[in-house]
Order: sequence, then structure tokens, then C-alpha cells
Amino acid sequence: MSESYSTINPCNMCMPMGSVLAFRGVEGCMPLFHGSQGCATYMRLYLAHHFREPVDIASSALSEKGTVYGGSANLKMGLKNLIIGYSPKAIGVATTCLAETIGDDIVQIINEFRAEEKSNIPIIPVSTPSYSASHEEGYARALQALVQSLARRTEPGGRINLIIGSFVSPADVRYLKNMIIDWGFADGFILFPDISETLDAPREENPPRITEGGTTLEDMVDTANSRCTLTIGGRFQSSSAGGFLEREFRVPQTALPLPIGLKDTDLFVSMLEEQTGIALPERYEAQRGRLLDTLADVHKYLAGVRVAVYGDSDIVLGLTRFLCEAGAIPAVVATGLRSTRFEAEIRAASEDALILLGADFSQIHDKIRNARIDLMLGTSNGRQISKKEGIPLVRVGLPNHDRVGATRQLLVGYEGATRLADAITNALLDENNL
Amino acid sequence: MSVIKTFEGREGHISQKTGYDPVSLSCSNESLAGAVSQRACVYSGARVVLNPLTDALHLVHGPIGCASYTWDIRGSSSSGPDLYKNSFSTDMSELDVVYGGEKKLARAIRDLAERFHPPAIFVYSTCIVGIIGDDLKAVCRSATAELGLPVIPVRSEGFRGNKNEGYKAACNALFELVGTKEHRPASPYAINLLGEYNVAGDLWAIKPLFEEMGIEVVATFTGDGRVAEIQRSHTARLNLVQCSGSMTYLAKKMEERYGIPYQHISFFGLGDLASALRCAARFFADESMLAKAEEIIERETAQVMPKIVYYRSRVQGKKAAIYMGGAAKAVSLVRAFEELGMEVVIIGTQTGDRDDYRKISCMVRDGTVIVDDANPLELRELLAVQKADLLVAGVKERFFAYKLGIAFCDFNHDRTTSFEGYDGLVNFAQELDASLNSPVWRLPLRRSSPIVGSQGSEIEKTIEKAAEGGVQAGV
Repeated sequence: MSESYSTINPCNMCMPMGSVLAFRGVEGCMPLFHGSQGCATYMRLYLAHHFREPVDIASSALSEKGTVYGGSANLKMGLKNLIIGYSPKAIGVATTCLAETIGDDIVQIINEFRAEEKSNIPIIPVSTPSYSASHEEGYARALQALVQSLARRTEPGGRINLIIGSFVSPADVRYLKNMIIDWGFADGFILFPDISETLDAPREENPPRITEGGTTLEDMVDTANSRCTLTIGGRFQSSSAGGFLEREFRVPQTALPLPIGLKDTDLFVSMLEEQTGIALPERYEAQRGRLLDTLADVHKYLAGVRVAVYGDSDIVLGLTRFLCEAGAIPAVVATGLRSTRFEAEIRAASEDALILLGADFSQIHDKIRNARIDLMLGTSNGRQISKKEGIPLVRVGLPNHDRVGATRQLLVGYEGATRLADAITNALLDENNL
Repeated sequence: MSVIKTFEGREGHISQKTGYDPVSLSCSNESLAGAVSQRACVYSGARVVLNPLTDALHLVHGPIGCASYTWDIRGSSSSGPDLYKNSFSTDMSELDVVYGGEKKLARAIRDLAERFHPPAIFVYSTCIVGIIGDDLKAVCRSATAELGLPVIPVRSEGFRGNKNEGYKAACNALFELVGTKEHRPASPYAINLLGEYNVAGDLWAIKPLFEEMGIEVVATFTGDGRVAEIQRSHTARLNLVQCSGSMTYLAKKMEERYGIPYQHISFFGLGDLASALRCAARFFADESMLAKAEEIIERETAQVMPKIVYYRSRVQGKKAAIYMGGAAKAVSLVRAFEELGMEVVIIGTQTGDRDDYRKISCMVRDGTVIVDDANPLELRELLAVQKADLLVAGVKERFFAYKLGIAFCDFNHDRTTSFEGYDGLVNFAQELDASLNSPVWRLPLRRSSPIVGSQGSEIEKTIEKAAEGGVQAGV
């Protein structure tokens, strides 16, 4: 294929977007973009659409003046107002392409701010220029920045860090949390980032300015004292919070794929059993049994069904492996990321899959048109292709801008796989007027 | 005294109307850092104005995000081409930032022109392009010469101001197209509609009304628009401007160069719609057209009135809050709420200017709060203080309204229901009714529990009362 000089309908977002999803998983943490006002507003809109929740992101609102003379005054003013307005417990400051290009040193500016304002609120800087990598790396970088800024070695705590290494839904995080509670070692884990409540808040009287929930700062500090780290997802990104904890504090890390589908969930569960010495609770074994039962029920509907899978790398890998387990064919597998490791893992799961790296939706469309696809599995960004080609689309991942329930969509664990099998099968049955 | 407590420097942007004096409001300045303004950027303003041109190719010269967040997110409909539903980007990387992106841009333009054969290409500049100094003008000029189609630079570096600057950038880009194609309107009564974006098919409820009056709509800026229509729009005799914030600048330029006068109108609400039709008829000073306008107004009003009366009975007396991007829509909403018997208690805009706020303050009742460039914290406070039942705004505001238990109506570019024209007002009223009178707001936020009450358990209460000696235990 000839080199492309443009992207048509991106399958990627920019790094600052990813940072928001990480920062909102820490209790009382407000994200602030150092850049032009529009970045914050656009991403708020994008995320509000997806989560159907208010998502507040502050901005240093850089103007022409700040751009010429440096954005220090704007960033300090932004931090000051954010603290006055929201009383956050922490602030995550992500840069944008503008701040990076004018060369602002945010670490320096933040240090000055701390001294000038005598503020001891943790402020976590992360460099997320929009012109490099993508939202997935932005998420990973923000996670790493969080532990880099907050984790402190004190006394060995003996807990296990469970890091959600790539973005999944609030329902997914809730499921994993409940699993740990049901397992009986709620106190033995530090799960982060925890967006289970912050990005899926219940309605209540007098809702707080910053949605409640999230990993506590104390827990973030304590990640340095854990006995090990289990990271799920995020394996194709160069930044890694677990990797940092291992290098800096000798907390050994095991990096696993997202627990999507039977075998990857088995792997995750086995790892937990190994670390805790306690067997998976019976009700989860029952869930596993129900997943197997469901797959038996639907196997003929899914047999040989040709699926186009696209979206974030870790989710796409999980979906691809799950489709293989169910007897469907991941015929086109696409992600916006460029990663040979991703390619190798997909290839290992499916010899025949047509793999697209660094893809945009124009390329995905071309492949889908020629690959006799029966079903699309991915974000709502595939909706135009789905309509044009008359191929049913099961929406998974971010964004889901045109259907409700993104926050409640469960993908991980035995139950997530069961629901996905149902959703895929029903979409096919609908399509065939059965 | 200010209505609510807010950030230092924001006090002057919020005011309550008292007596007959027009409110003077701080406005038209940069958003306060850290205050979570609802405003977007210059690029955003330019993109929303130009994007509804359905057959144009919209290429963003910048990092991927700017194109990702603006891909097919607006509800502007097309009756034909759908090229505008794609988001093209040069996807600038680190190397482009270091070495400059002009070559990449030039090749992207050439590739895309060959592949999609658009009648025009708009090239949007973004924040970093403004910093690294890519010469968009030069690249576009040579592409225009090479490809033989208009390749128009849009000066929309995000940091150069707010959306208003973006509107201007878009108007300047459009103005380059105006007058580049010859046309002889079939009707001596030819007009353009400016600031009509065909959201949810709005335009299709309006255009037939003008056509019935014998008026030819040469071009719509830019809803369901075609490049060729814009190119021959100089042949119209009148510009009707709806979204004044985005299009008055262009209307003035067209008046200057082509001598086309303009009038501000709105197609939303029975009164404003009737005024718009009359305005066009009066301009052409044609008696039979005026009679036709009156006939249409009478006929269409009679047709929708029973429904309006019904919905009015469902919503009248309720208190509405308005938070819009521009002032024109906000003003039109005030009148529409009057027609529906509702009271406006808050009215705000992202980008209104001094004149806009003066006009608004003359229209609204005593006690109404007027706010410029509000943020979520202020809006929350104001909604509570002003006891609003409903908020009319865009998606960013929708979910905090719901969290507060306040009804909501989306009057932004993302809406999927047409609100303009006669049936549009019915749709609007129906949506207000659906949200205001939904049973979900009446569901108990707290479950009544036999053992846990809101002020402690029943048992505790009984014990407390017994201790006070008021009630015998067990009663």
C-alpha cells in the first residue's frame, strides 16, 4: 500500500483524551488541560456523549498572548481557580499540542505554583502532546504519571495492585471490584484507576461537584508498597504504571491481556488464585459454566460468521480471541495503533485475519467491502459503514455515541463474554429476520 | 450584589435584571482559566459553520484529535451528497511539527482531490500550525492553480480567540467562493438564507414557504449547502440572516461588495416565523406576495394551533433556563417560551456581545438572570437559585441538568428533531412536555424504608419522640 498523506475518519483520538479517563479514576481528581479552551470542551462533549454523564475538564484557556509569551500565568490561574471552584483532592495536568509546541515546562510551572500558593494538593503533570501516539498511550502515560507522582515507599503493605491498563467501561471495573469482594480479599487489593462510580454516577440529592468514587490517594501512595502488580491490558503501550512500580520500587508486575472471553478470563482468575491462594468463589464458577452453556447454545449461529473487529488495541485483541473461541471468524481486525506485537498476537489467534494497523475508517471500509463481512464489532464510529453496507453493528468500546448503556456495558469476565455472545447472536438473528 | 458566588473576575458576567434599566454585562473577553468554560475554540467555530456544505471536502491540517472530535457529530442533514460526513486530517506527527507540514499537506490535498473530486476543499488550520508557521495560504494557492478547484485556507488556529473568531474565519473562507459562478435566478425575487444550518432538516420546513411566496432561495449558508450555490449567491437580492453571531460578518461583506442588503430574522417560533416571511415580502414590496405570506401564516398557524394550545396547557407556568452558543437563538427562544406560556428565569450565551445582552435585557422580565460564558458550577447554582424547571442547551449541559433532576431540551446542532417552521414549534413544545412532565422526575430519590428513614429509622424516631415526652412509645 502506498504511503498515505491523510487520515480519513480517524480510528484514534489524541493523548489528552486518554489522560482524562485515567485521572477520573482517582478520588477527587480533576483533569486540567494546558492548552486552548477548545480541547477541553471538545473532549467534554465527546465523553458526555459516550458516558451520558457530565464530564468536567478544566483548561488553562491559552490565548494568543499566552501562546506568544508562555502559558505559565494561564496555567497557574487555571490551577488556582480549579482549586477554588472544585476543591479537588488532586489535579491531573495534561499538556496538549499547543503547550508542547510553545515549550512550556509544566513541571517547573507547577513547582512555582506550589511555592507561590503554598498549596499541597497533589498536582500530577503528564506530557500528552496530541501529535504523537494516541489516546491509548495518553491513558497509559497518565497512569504512569499518577504512580510516579504519588507512590511512596514506606512499609511493605502486602497488597496486590490491580491496574486497569487500558480503558474499559465503568461496568467492567465494577465487575472486577465485586469479584474481588466476593472472593473475600477486598482489603488485599489496590485497584486503579477506578471509574466504576466516577463515570457512572447514581442520581442523588445534591450531587457533589466532583463525582464520588475512585481510587483513594492513600491507596495510590501505597501502590509502592504492594507485593505485586497485576496489570490487565495496556500491553501495547510504551508507558506502564506497573512497569514503573517494578523499576522504581521492585514491585514485580505480571501483565495480562484484558479478561475478555473464556481463556483470557481463566488466565486472569488463575493468576489471582496463584497470588491469593484462595480458589475462585463458586458463583463465578457457575458463571463460567453458564458461559460455556451459552456458547453451546449459540455455536451454530456463530459458526463461520465473518466479523470485522475494530477499536482500541487491547479490546480488539480480546474480542478477536473470543470470536475464535465461539467459532466465528475474525475476518478483518483493525486498530488505530501501529504495533507489531499487537499484529503478532492477532496472527497467533487467527491465521487468516486481515490485520490493519494504524487504520482509519476509510481503510476499514475498503476491507469490509471486500471481505464478505456478516457483522461488525466495535465502536459507534463504524455506524456509517454499517449503514452503507447493510451490516449489523454490535457496539463495543469508546465511543458509543448513538446508543445508550455504554457505562453499563460489561465486556470482561465470564459474564461479560456471555452477554457479548448474546448480543452478537441476537444481532445476527435480527439481521436474518429470525 | 451578585446573584451567586463565583470566581474572582466572573462577577461582572452574571447579572439580574431589575427595573427598566438594561443590564450591562462583561462579555467578549477571554474565558477564565480553570473555570471550565462551555466555550470551544476558533477551529470549532469555523468547522460548525462550514461543515454543513455537503459536497465540500473538509481537511483538518493538524494532529488527529481535532478531526476525531468533529467527525459526523453534528445533526446537519443533506438531501444529497455526504462527503461532509467524513473527517479528513493530515494527522500531523512529531516530525511534521519539527520539519513543517506543508509538503504533507500539499500531497494530502492532491490525493484527496483525485480520490473524491470535490468542488472545493476547505483546509482548516489548528493550534500548532499557527505556531510552527506552515504557510497554508501558499499551499492552498498553488493547489488551487494545480488542481483547478478552489482550495481555501481557513484561519482557525484554536488559540486565536473563541468561536466568534472561527465564525469570521469561516465567513472569510465562504466569501472567497461567493461570486465565482454566474447565475441568473429564475425568479426576480431571489434571496439567500444565512445562518441556517439545516439541523435535523430544519431548512426543509422553511424553504417551501418561501417558494410558495414566489421566492427563489439561491443559496443557504450553509445547511444542506452546495459549493456551487455559494458561488452564485451574489445573484440574490436579499440576505436573510438567522444565526447573527456566525453570519452577520459575511452579510456585511456581501452588502459591501455586491450591494445585497440583509435582514435579521428567525424561523423558530410562530411570531418570529411570521415576521421572517413578512420581512421578505415587504422587502420586495410586492402586494400579491405579501398577501400570499399572510395566507401562509394564517393557514399554517391555524393548522398547528390546536397542538400548540394543547402543549401550552401542559407546560405553561414552568420556568425555563436558556444557555446557548449564540445570542440569536437565545432571543428567539425567549419569544417562543412566551408563546408557550413559560417564564424565562435564566438566559445565557457563550459568545454574546454587548449589543446582544442589551437586547436580551430589554426583552426579559424582572428577576431574570443574564449570564455570559457560564461554567457548570455557575449554571448549577443559578438553576437552583432561580428554581428552573427546564434547561435548554447542548449536550455538555444535558447530563448535569438530569443529575439535578431538571428537564432538558437540546437546542444545539446535535439535536435530531426539527424545531424550525410551524411543525418545528410543535416538535419543540412536545419535547418540552415530554421532559417537563415525565414521571421520572417524580420518582422518589430516596426509598422509603421500614427500618431506615431519611432522618434516622422509624424506631429511632419513635424513641426520640418518646424521650421528648410527646408521643407514647408504640403509638
